This record gives sequence, C-alpha cells and structure tokens, in this order.
Amino acid sequence: MVKEYIVIAFTENQIGVLNRITALYLRRKINIESLKVSESSIKGISMFVISAFTSSETIDKLVKQLRNIIDVIQVEYYTNEELITQEIALYKISTKLFRQNGATDRIVREWNARIIEINPSFVVVEKTGTREEIEQMRQEFERQQLLQEFTRSGTVVLHREPWVQALPNQIISQ
Amino acid sequence: MARKQRVKGAEALLLSLLAEGTDTIFGYPGGQVIPVYDHLYDYRDRLHHILTRHEQGAVHAAQGYARATGRVGVCLATSGPGATNLVTGIADAMLDSTPLVCITGQVPSSLLGTDAFQEADTISMTMPISKWNFQVTKASEIPRAIAKAFYIARSGRPGPVVIDFTKDAQVEEVDFSYQPCLYLRSYHPKPDLDTEAITRAVEMINASERPLLLVGQGVKLSGAETALIELAEAASIPMGETLMGISAVPNDHPLFIGNLGMHGNLAANEMTQQSDLIIAVGMRFSDRVTGDVNTYAPKAEIIQIDIDAAELGKNLPVALPIHADAREALEALKRGIRHCERPQWMEVAVRKQAEEQREVIDPALDPSLEHITMCRALHALAEAEQGQAVIVTDVGQNQMFSARYSRFKETRSFITSGGLGTMGFGLPAAMGAKLGVPDKEVVAVLGDGGFQMSIQELGTIMQNKIGLKIIVLNNTYLGMVRQWQQLFWNRRYSFTELENPDFPAVARAYGIPAERVSDPNELNAAIERLVQAQGAYFLEIVVRPEENVFPMVPAGASLSNIICKE
Ligand SMILES: Cc1ncc(C[n+]2csc(CCOP(=O)(O)OP(=O)(O)O)c2C)c(N)n1
Ligand SMILES: [Mg+2]
Repeated sequence: MVKEYIVIAFTENQIGVLNRITALYLRRKINIESLKVSESSIKGISMFVISAFTSSETIDKLVKQLRNIIDVIQVEYYTNEELITQEIALYKISTKLFRQNGATDRIVREWNARIIEINPSFVVVEKTGTREEIEQMRQEFERQQLLQEFTRSGTVVLHREPWVQALPNQIISQ
Repeated sequence: MARKQRVKGAEALLLSLLAEGTDTIFGYPGGQVIPVYDHLYDYRDRLHHILTRHEQGAVHAAQGYARATGRVGVCLATSGPGATNLVTGIADAMLDSTPLVCITGQVPSSLLGTDAFQEADTISMTMPISKWNFQVTKASEIPRAIAKAFYIARSGRPGPVVIDFTKDAQVEEVDFSYQPCLYLRSYHPKPDLDTEAITRAVEMINASERPLLLVGQGVKLSGAETALIELAEAASIPMGETLMGISAVPNDHPLFIGNLGMHGNLAANEMTQQSDLIIAVGMRFSDRVTGDVNTYAPKAEIIQIDIDAAELGKNLPVALPIHADAREALEALKRGIRHCERPQWMEVAVRKQAEEQREVIDPALDPSLEHITMCRALHALAEAEQGQAVIVTDVGQNQMFSARYSRFKETRSFITSGGLGTMGFGLPAAMGAKLGVPDKEVVAVLGDGGFQMSIQELGTIMQNKIGLKIIVLNNTYLGMVRQWQQLFWNRRYSFTELENPDFPAVARAYGIPAERVSDPNELNAAIERLVQAQGAYFLEIVVRPEENVFPMVPAGASLSNIICKE
C-alpha cells in the first residue's frame, strides 16, 4: 500500500550528500514531495527530512541503501502518525483586497495565523501548522480570490516517543 | 610517514599512493593530468605505470588486477573524455564489488562550471556508480582524500572510489605527511557478529535434512574459503557457486555441485528447488541466479549472510538475515555444527550430473562433429591447464562456456564481468590480472565480438611484454544474442552476424605469436602450444557458428523449467 513516509537522515555536512540521497529516490522513480536540509543540533551534522509516497517494502529497502552512503550517519523512516510535523506557510494578499474583504480578519483568526507584514501594496500572513491546515487555509483565501502568492516550507519534525534519541550517542559525545 | 616534505599536489598524490602500497597504475595522460604524469616520470622505479590504449582498458585492467590480487586497483585518466571513458568500468566495479581508486584530472578550480575545455562533471556522473567520490581542489586535501579513498574502497563491501583532482591543486605546494584512514564516524564497514543469529542458524542447519550452501563472491572477498569448506565438510552440505563465486571452492571437492542459475548446472539448480535450507554466503540473489523468485527454492528456508545490510532480503524474503563478514560468520557457525553424512541428498547431485553429462556435455563433445564446439575448446583448455590457470572471460557464450567447463584449484582464479556484463572487459582485465599475479598462468577467453571492443589493448600487451595467453572463440556471431534470437525470437538474426578480420594477422601485427585452429583434430595440439608458450600467445579457435549454451533457465522462468536443448 502506498502512503507517505518521512525519512529523517543525519549526515556529514559534505558537498554531494544531497545528490547521493536524491539519486536513490530517482533510481526507484519515487517523487520527493518535500525535502528540508538544515544544520542539526550538532555542528557539522546536517539533518534531512524527506517525505515521499511509496510502499513500506520499498521505503525499507531504500533506507537500507541510504545507510550505505558513506557520509550518512543515521537514517530512519516514519509515518506521519509517529511524528509531530509542522510546516510554515506565507500567504501574500493585496492590501486593498485585504481591507475590502470582510472575511480576511476572520480567516486569520480562525486559523491561528498572524500578519507579519503590512505595506501599501500587500499583506503577508504567516501560518504554522500541519500540511492539511495550511492547505485548507489556502483554499479559503482562494475561494475569496484573495491570494497573490503562496509559499510553504518543508516539514520540520520531532518524534512522538519521549525516549527516541535523534542522534547516536557516539556522535553526541564527540 | 609523519615526516613533512614540501611537494606539489601531484607529487603528494604519488607519495600517498606509495604509502598505500600501490605498485601498479593503469592510465592514460591528457592535458589536465600532465602535472601528475610529470612527477610519475621520476617515480618510474617505484610506481609501475601501464599505458593502456583506451581509458576503458585502464579501468578494466585495474579491476583485473584487484580481482586477481585482492588489493586495490588504481587507474588514472585525464578530465572530460578521459573521465567519461572510465565510466563503464566504474559501474562494472560497483556491481561486482571490486576495490578501485580511480583518479581523474579536472580543469583548474577557477574554471569549474564554465564549460572549460575538457570539463566534464565527473563527480555528478560517477555519483550513482561509485561507493564514494570526492573532488580535490587544494593540494593539502590530497593525503586525506587518498587515505579515505583506499579505506573506503577496500573495507566492508568493496567498491570503486573516484578522486577528481583539479589542475591547480596538482601544481600547488603543500607540506606532505601521510596518515592512513582507519575510522570514519559515518561509516561502519565491519558489523558486529550477532551471536543469537548464529545460534539460530546452527539450530536450523542441525535440523535440516537437505541443506545447501550458495557461494558468492563475498566468500573470496572476505577470505572465507577455508571456513566455508570446513563448515560444508562438518555437516556434509553441498556447495553451489554463483558466477561471481566461481573458484572459491576447488571444482574437485566432493561436496561441490556446480554453478547456480541461468547457465548453471542441473544439479545445483535442482538441489536449490529440493533443498529445505539454503545458506547463502556473500551472494545477492540476482535475477540471473533465481529466475522467477516466486517459484525459487519453494521448500527452503533461507539464511543469508552478507556484509552489506542492504542486500539482506532485497530480492527475496529471508528467514534469517545475518549481517556479518562472511568469514567471521562461517567460523562461528562451524563451531556449533553437528557432524552428519547425507548420502541420499548427495545422490541427487550424482544423478543430475549424470543427466547433464548425457543430455548436454556428451553431445557437444561428440568426436564426429564437423566443428570444434566451445564446449570442446574449454574442455581441452581445462585439461591442459589442470586447474592452475586464472581464467578471465569476456561476456556472452564464451563467458558461460568458460564458467561451465573451466576447472579451478585456487581461489580468485575466475575473473568475469558479472553484474554489468560488460563486453570488452576480458582482454584488459586479463592484462591487469597477469600484472598482478605474474607467476600464474593467465588466459583470456574472449568472443569475436567482445575482443573487438578492446582489440587495441594488444598494443599494451606488446609494449609492456605482458605474458598473457589469449583465446578468441570465433563463431562469427554475437553468439549470446543470436542464441536468444534463435530460441525466443523466431531465429530472426537481426544484426548479430559479424564479418571478422584475420585475427591472427592482427595479433602478429602487434608482435604477438598467433595461430588459428579450426580442425577438431588439431585443437589439443594448438592449445598445448598456447600453454607452453613463453610470453604472450594468441589462439583463434574457429567454433561452430550456431552452438547454444545449455542448460538454460529462460529469463524470468522457474529454475524447475531449465532446458537442455533447443
Ligand atoms: C558493452 C555491451 N554491449 C552489448 C552487450 C549485449 N551482449 C551480451 S552478449 C553479446 C554477444 C557477445 O558476442 P561475442 O563477443 O562474439 O561472444 P559470444 O557470445 O559469441 O561468445 C552481446 C552483444 C553487452 N553485454 N555489453
Ligand atoms: Mg561470437
């Protein structure tokens, strides 16, 4: 059964690791839905969060192959339920429409979003939430024909289990 | 080694190679590696450089050297076309787990990304086909890069590594000192042996009635030959080899039952189907071994031992995966094994061997046949060499007949392109093997097609006086493809027939003594001359044009549906 799997990888911050990782998805013709790379809590170690739709069998084999990349320190995969996942989205709306349309204030309040910039030509609304929430709010703005521009971050994640250690001890102690 | 020395990057490379024990480099110069070649000129007494006639020849020669010796093969090429010409060999080494360090020149770092003359993005191109690669843009990076390259290439599951070396870094000065690489925090090539898994495996083996050992190249790579044979003997477990595993076990061992898979032996394939316990060691259940996975080994539970965790259960479900070095695992297994004899189980092998002799081998050895068959030619070679020669093959029917009829007494004696099936591999790989083990007899067995993909390497053999024996089995066809066309495509021989040159004349033009034999009655004498020759020798054997390799499991069919004739 095909579903969304989120791969979390910790790697050396080395040029080329990103290519090696995405090449393994490419080889199996798996489309990456979202990809986030950033420095982890430890200097010199990057954290990748990659989400893609595939089968449990395939993700299992793929992750084993990801582990074989020399600069990859640790890789695991999860389903959405196992993780606390959040994304950030920014919505750009013309200031004129924003003022004229009575729905805007309600939408911002109802979705727990906030306005982070107002200038004479546009307003930027920021929303943190699950991908579904972000998507639903976008649809509301679109229904009102308000949306000028829209952008979404990749997923940031934390594991639900309190005992899960993000990085192996040996690295942390170094 | 810790003493510092002020040198250029190019010389630092050579000093690093020497520190790793390199004695031979296969290469081809060009604009972006001239600085390295310039220093090589001063190191000729310590670093034996073999100038091949094509970079593909250099990388295949390095592979042959690595496979025959167990050491890391080293090749060197210029940027752009030099690097792209290495690509086939790198991919081949990746699939066949061959330790290589490939060094490519690169345009100066200031020109990277500008489509400079002979710039190719070597790092991106070799990324999916190398175990690791790295671009050196500063001379100071060289010692560490080479140390890592060798460590990664030869440890764990071996593989090819590419070091792309910009020209400015080659001429930049550096204080050289060398430290071998022994540890990387992101790479753990040696798994800890799971003793619980070993205990379970021992129980499974002791409880099994019809166990079978599948021997892959991992046995050779980990030096597990003795441990394997001791385990097999302890519990009377028959052993079958994959194409890459050939020569790990001497052919005359009483428990050796032949080769597995598509063109394997009847006994090995039948016993796979009857076995109740398969112990796979350093092999990866490739589709050429399993045929249809759904009907493969229907009665067997599988224990799979591999140093590469990604191989465990990759191609079929495995009851007990053991992530381990083959030798360590086999030595541990052997300790708990209960001795037993299995005369009935081995009866299957005897019966199937007799059937194969009758159905497949005897007809091909029929003295009344007008032509020499490949079967007869390889048979005669095996008789003459008495299992002492290293056989290096090309790809196609010549390869499968070599795999079937060669005889081996020593490990690492069969060298072939298994995973990638690269035509053109045989001749240069045999050169590399001969240079690696000069005291052994090395014979290249080639097809008329594949020989012509590397025919220019005759020049390398001439110039370096490589005492290699070369046999070309000339069937005037791309025989293996023709066989498929005959069997599965209605005999439509679309573009598989070859009009060939006078091969011995070509060899002689390169100063290599050469002859042609086509009369079956003269075959043995011709092979004897080849064996007795001091130095290089070339023998063209004109063989039956439409001979087929049997037995054969058609692609995707069940091992149970193996066929023995058209
Ligand atoms: C580089 C490359 N191209 C194409 C093939 C496909 N192929 C496999 S076997 C074969 C025929 C080989 O002919 P020849 O070298 O004469 O050997 P024979 O089978 O006749 O012994 C071909 C074309 C290949 N394996 N490698
Ligand atoms: Mg041929």
